[in-house]
Amino acid sequence: MLGQREMKAGRVNQNRGLRKPPAWLTWSLATIVLWGAWGLVSKIASAGVDAYVNQLLYTAGLAPLLIFVAWTVQRRGAQENRNGRAAGVFWAFLTGILGGVGNIAFFQALVKGGKASVVAPVTALFPMVTVLLALVFLKERLGRTQWVGLALAFVAIYLLSA
Amino acid sequence: MHIWLGFAILALVLWGITGVTQKLSTNRISSDRSFLWFCWAMVALSAVVLGLARPHWGLATVVVVCSIAGGALNGLGAWTSFRALESGGKASIVISLISLYPLLTVLLAVLLLGERLSGMQMTGALVAIAAAILLSLEGPPKPKA
Repeated sequence: MLGQREMKAGRVNQNRGLRKPPAWLTWSLATIVLWGAWGLVSKIASAGVDAYVNQLLYTAGLAPLLIFVAWTVQRRGAQENRNGRAAGVFWAFLTGILGGVGNIAFFQALVKGGKASVVAPVTALFPMVTVLLALVFLKERLGRTQWVGLALAFVAIYLLSA
Repeated sequence: MHIWLGFAILALVLWGITGVTQKLSTNRISSDRSFLWFCWAMVALSAVVLGLARPHWGLATVVVVCSIAGGALNGLGAWTSFRALESGGKASIVISLISLYPLLTVLLAVLLLGERLSGMQMTGALVAIAAAILLSLEGPPKPKA
């Protein structure tokens, strides 16, 4: 009886498992919610703080995550390949500096009167620059969809700036 | 050109460059370590800002809360996007999917902040999201030398 009950419970769990969305979809949806809300809170903040103070407070908000990730990296550190680590760290640091200055510019756009509903879609077009740089410097090829995306990005900027 | 548009395009260009530098980083180290150094760079940048700029304090609580929340939301979003890629999601699908985030910002700004978009701007927002998705799709493989 107990065995049957366990088997039944197992089957129910299996069925539940089938219904459960894949982890990547859950993480992707969480990203949409987090970044979507970020645009909103940034616009609210832009009414009463300059871009520099915002950068300081923004970093304070990032601090708990920094501590958590530092702990994770420390724990997994021994398993990692050390080849090319210095170069990898350099590029990551540069990414942070460019991203941070980009954040200041994004916030300044909101302070200067840009609507969140316009600034967010404009800045979300940043892959157009990545794609162009990858084309020129990394010698990557663009597919037809990416060329169409690039053309649409210019159209979008024109329409949004109207 | 509106001054806010100039700043928005500057952010677009800088974030676009990070698409390449991030790739150069994660080709060599784990995404966690890369993200950690990304965060340390933010701390370094804030130290420079504190030294060079003359920040004005005396802020309303709601503003402080929203600024801090901005850092937490953006940082967590970057972290969850890494998790999405590491938990088996195809890069072309995950990145295309998360490119939809401005749609939520537009919706929240219209509903909660009472922002109004003209017909052209609304079309522009939709075209921008479509463009971001198309740009995120993987291109053909690099030709062999």
